[in-house]
Amino acid sequence: MILGLLIVLPVVAYLAWLVWALVAYPIPLGYNLRSLWQRKVSSLSTAAAIALVVGIFVVVLSLAQGLSIAFVSSGRADQALVLRPNARFELNSSIERDRMRILKVHPLIKRDAEGFMASAEVVVVKLFPMADGTDTNVTVRGLERRGIGLRPQVRLVQGRWFRPGLSEVVVPRKMQGRFPGMDLGRHLRMGGRDWLIVGTFDAGGASYESEVWSDVNDIMQAFRRESYSALLVRLESPERLEGFAKAVEEDKRLKLEVVQETAYFKELTKAGDPIKVLGNLITLILTGAAIFAAMNTMYAAVAGRTKEIGTLRALGFRQREILASFQWESIFLCLTGGLLGSGLALFANGIQTGTTSFDTFADVSFAFTITPGLMAQGVAFSLVMGLLGGFLPAWRASRIPLTEAMKGG
Amino acid sequence: MDANRFDLGGGEPIIILDDVAKSYWRETLEIPVLQGIDLEIPRGSYIALMGPSGSGKTTLLNLIAGIDRPTGGSLEVCGHHLNGLDDDELAAWRNLHVGFIFQNYNLVPVLNAFENVELPLLLTGAGRGERRDRVEEALALVNLTDRMFNYPRQLSGGQEQRVAIARAIVTNPDLLVADEPTGALDAKNAEEVLGLMERLNAELGKTIVMVTHDPKAAHHARHQIHLEKGVLDRTVEVNR
Repeated sequence: MILGLLIVLPVVAYLAWLVWALVAYPIPLGYNLRSLWQRKVSSLSTAAAIALVVGIFVVVLSLAQGLSIAFVSSGRADQALVLRPNARFELNSSIERDRMRILKVHPLIKRDAEGFMASAEVVVVKLFPMADGTDTNVTVRGLERRGIGLRPQVRLVQGRWFRPGLSEVVVPRKMQGRFPGMDLGRHLRMGGRDWLIVGTFDAGGASYESEVWSDVNDIMQAFRRESYSALLVRLESPERLEGFAKAVEEDKRLKLEVVQETAYFKELTKAGDPIKVLGNLITLILTGAAIFAAMNTMYAAVAGRTKEIGTLRALGFRQREILASFQWESIFLCLTGGLLGSGLALFANGIQTGTTSFDTFADVSFAFTITPGLMAQGVAFSLVMGLLGGFLPAWRASRIPLTEAMKGG
Repeated sequence: MDANRFDLGGGEPIIILDDVAKSYWRETLEIPVLQGIDLEIPRGSYIALMGPSGSGKTTLLNLIAGIDRPTGGSLEVCGHHLNGLDDDELAAWRNLHVGFIFQNYNLVPVLNAFENVELPLLLTGAGRGERRDRVEEALALVNLTDRMFNYPRQLSGGQEQRVAIARAIVTNPDLLVADEPTGALDAKNAEEVLGLMERLNAELGKTIVMVTHDPKAAHHARHQIHLEKGVLDRTVEVNR
């Protein structure tokens, strides 16, 4: 904590001083901007390197953002999943038919005109070929018709919903681009049967866009499952969750675990951790290279303008004014790259991709999501690069002995 | 007064050097450049500092202009004891009291003539309007009003040096220091620049200390001070 403060405080103080210097110090900014433009080739190549790093940085953040949106938008606070104790995920869970019969009519589950708002579901994974020729596990969810209504973010965009007993499936529209053979009217081979694709759905970026859906009994039969995976229920309100969980966990006939749906999906968000770690590692390495590039450019600028620095000092400009001037020059250089990189990252916005969850070993489909906040983070990141890359050259510029500077170094 | 002091006579001194010495160190080896310089230069003088290469004339000019610090003795220039000033005070003093004219003009290439001349004024706190008036006045004095928005690359050597002179006088300093101001110019432009400096001395009363090894340039000054191996050798009054 103290060490952190010892590092952060001087940086914050330095930044505050730089902002003040921008207003109070007399060396015009135009001088720095024109100097950067005068060395077009080196300035633009450095800005391009910074743009690349910032672009990667923003895209990596957008992956995590997209994944987070996929999971966070999947859950509701007034809904819960009932799982086998310690199962953690639907795929590891099993609930026998007898228990499910008791559970589905639990008095604490919300009711509407159609009855209890609950859906008994089964989850299996099936290997599907992808468009790039590789195979990946896809989650296949068997659910009751009630389960569709419990997920209001899901809407049919083409065809119709599956009907029980007919081996029909619906697939997410966004999976169609990544997996061949998922067009309406075609068949999927699963569990020894051919399944007709009768509809496509959209889930507003939620994780259901990584799943193939069909009737729960059809899936259980085809995959020879004797038990369900989980029960999805809606409660009267989020506050009823605790009571429902206590009742289900303490009922000797059930002995099951209740997890709030939002908490369940939050746990699943960890699927993105390996991507984040890898992305951060790549960003870290590239950042080092970009800072070095900025430093190199600024050192060259200082070396090429030594006599100019000497002239400014002779005219009466102080060392700290030279320091601030060159530091801002470096920041502007990197900010140009930052703005460019953040702008370029926009091209990745909305591109559909996927990763394999290390918890469920199934594909999680999501979209790169570039938000203004992420772009601002990218620009701020470039500012830090400008600060770090420019400090030593700016310090050097301000410390060249005057007589030496006037001779040109 | 010290009997050995070179006194150019003629009124209130603007530069007083008392036993000034300057040495450089190469590892443990001391290399003396100037020794025992005693000199008084009156306000309004026009001095040519002369001597062979390595005689210490540029070092002496740098000390007078507050660019460098002596290793011995004391300097009083424009009423200030330079030995007692720290780096920031010395920078502010230079801005207020000294105008610089360099051999290679030392204009900032990315700034136009107006902006180059305006540079020292940015430190004075003068408002935009006042700065504009003073820059225009300085450029008019060197007859470059029509080249105000030209960049150094768009000017001839002589014009660049005239812009540098405008920059040197824009803050209305007491003292102008010039290091080989005609060293990079052809004869015609050199004569023009020297004429301008003469006018600044004669009409505006500026004290000028100029380093030169060119006898023709030195002839424009009123006094020549000759240095030899880091010591003052002799002074010569120029008869024009």
